[in-house]
Amino acid sequence: METNPRPCIAVEGLTGCAGELLVILENLDKLLPFVRVASFPFAQSQNDDGPVDIAFVEGSVSQPHDLEKLKRIRAKARWLVAVGNCAVWGCVQGGACAKCKVTDMLEAVYGQHSEIQALESRPLDAYVNVDVKLSGCPIDKTQFLSVTASLLKDHLPYITHKPVCLECKLNENPCVLIEKNLPCLGPVTAAGCGALCPSLGAACYGCWGPSQAPQMDAMATILSEKGYEALEIMNRLKTFGAPEHLFERMNV
Amino acid sequence: MRTFCLLVLPNDTLEDIFVCNGCVGSYGSILKMSRNFLLPKSRFCEFFNYLKGLGKFFAPVRVSEQSFSFKEIENEGEIAWDALRTILPPKKFFYPQRETVLKYDRNEVEATVPEDNFQVIFGVHPCDLAGLGIMDTIFEAAPGDTHYTKRREQSLVIGLSCMPDKYCFCQSMGTSCPTKGYDLFLTDLGDAFFVQVETARAEQMLAGCNGLFSPVSENDKDSYKEFWIERDKAFTNGFEPDNLRSTLDMEWDNPLWDELGKRCLSCGNCTPVCPTCYCFDLVDIANLNGQSGERQREWDSCQFVGFAQVAGDYNFRPTPVDRLKFWYRHKLHGFDDPYGFKTCVGCGRCTVSCPSGIDDIVDVVKRLQGNNEQPNK
Ligand code: SF4
Ligand code: SF4
Ligand code: SF4
Ligand code: SF4
Repeated sequence: METNPRPCIAVEGLTGCAGELLVILENLDKLLPFVRVASFPFAQSQNDDGPVDIAFVEGSVSQPHDLEKLKRIRAKARWLVAVGNCAVWGCVQGGACAKCKVTDMLEAVYGQHSEIQALESRPLDAYVNVDVKLSGCPIDKTQFLSVTASLLKDHLPYITHKPVCLECKLNENPCVLIEKNLPCLGPVTAAGCGALCPSLGAACYGCWGPSQAPQMDAMATILSEKGYEALEIMNRLKTFGAPEHLFERMNV
Repeated sequence: MRTFCLLVLPNDTLEDIFVCNGCVGSYGSILKMSRNFLLPKSRFCEFFNYLKGLGKFFAPVRVSEQSFSFKEIENEGEIAWDALRTILPPKKFFYPQRETVLKYDRNEVEATVPEDNFQVIFGVHPCDLAGLGIMDTIFEAAPGDTHYTKRREQSLVIGLSCMPDKYCFCQSMGTSCPTKGYDLFLTDLGDAFFVQVETARAEQMLAGCNGLFSPVSENDKDSYKEFWIERDKAFTNGFEPDNLRSTLDMEWDNPLWDELGKRCLSCGNCTPVCPTCYCFDLVDIANLNGQSGERQREWDSCQFVGFAQVAGDYNFRPTPVDRLKFWYRHKLHGFDDPYGFKTCVGCGRCTVSCPSGIDDIVDVVKRLQGNNEQPNK
């Protein structure tokens, strides 16, 4: 028995692509000197269900067993950290649920009488209290490590919600929205990725989820002036789970 | 509107650009009689190589069909001579986008010091030189920003003449003729540069390459004057800034602001590109060991909703229109009272960098002034 036990962490996945789990696994060596990994079913075979200091949860709640699992994790964790767009915003499956009925999707994919039980795909905070939301698709390792460092000191971490445009300009990229008329969503998307896509000459498609108070109506106006159709604009803006209330002022 | 900028070119009076014909002896003797000389373009390559030997050499290079950026270059062929405005202004050399300002551990806090790195910043146009002059006033004001000052001290800034495009309005802002912020200024006379030496540091630096220069002839002086007269005529937007102050005060509630505010993305593109925007954010980044970390500063923007958010979740500029109006006022009027200058130098960067097209200062001010002609852009 250690006399001064290291803080315990759990890393769990709900419905997602395991992208966050991979980022965490790739950086686990940096954490291991400072934490004990109580549970990380993606990476280790011996896991315990005892209380943890920090639980990192990836994925959205899309099936009843996701919800049960999430409630169990919430009950055992001091800090519940939603990691990745799925857990924070609902990601593409959340975006799809905003457009189509879940029963229709279920039938289209699995046929009429499938055994699959599907819920409308939702982010974690639709069901439980989430302490920290670290978005990304997948999360950025530098942000992940600094969030973890803060939580290990029981400090609420700083996570930027400024737009991708800031990082894009700090990198001194030519603006693809202006110069190439690409439908770049950098102005309404939260930074964190280092403006990955525009730095490579591509449009940001919003994978980090919305920035703080995104101006969705102005974004739609500018894209429509560039010739994009209203339907395409809305599809783009909503693909990564941006919630309905952000579009209230829009008349597109 | 002022038509001759020649009279305020770096040295204020015409006498200053007079030179003693025929003094080609030692560099020292040129200096005694003149601070101006000629650099034939055929010798620019040698000039470049000489400066390159002094430290890192930065100049505008093309980065896309429409854009340029100051980058470190290895040979003179990389210089984009047609660059008017770079995406980011040269402030980035002294006040970088992101930097660590201190490191801490359990026992001590240590302020970081920028590395010793001599750099030559080449090809800075008059608007940007004026911008640097304003940044100097701000960052060097007591107690002074040691990072900025140190980087400024170890940089040689070389100005370069330009011909305005339709977005340039430095002339209206009174910044079209360099008065400070540089060590050397080069005016392009076609097959040679008319070189004006401004600082003692530049004089010292150039001591090692004085063989490249020739004295200025009467013809050269005429060409020099002609260039600046032609350039003065090349500004076409007819922006009259005389009543800016009263216009901005009077038109604070003009419905135009709401029209612009509705289009504003709050993307913040307008501020990093501005040569005089200086706001930053400070973030502490802890190390996993829980014992140490560092404090970083990164450029921030008043256009972000979180910028004016304070304790209690109160925000004194909650909507895009509040922030946009604030920015216009800050650039065009805010510094009038404390400093007696405006912080817009008319470079046109915000105009070309705003995805929404609402940072067209010239157009917006004309509309506030009551001139509703359609913009000519
Ligand atoms: S390319 Fe996209 S992210 Fe970059 S400045 Fe333009 S709109 Fe913003
Ligand atoms: S630029 Fe946009 S789409 Fe690309 S990684 Fe960043 S947030 Fe995702
Ligand atoms: S406000 Fe615009 S035009 Fe004026 S100095 Fe700043 S970027 Fe240039
Ligand atoms: S004025 Fe233009 S560049 Fe500035 S925040 Fe608004 S949309 Fe972005």
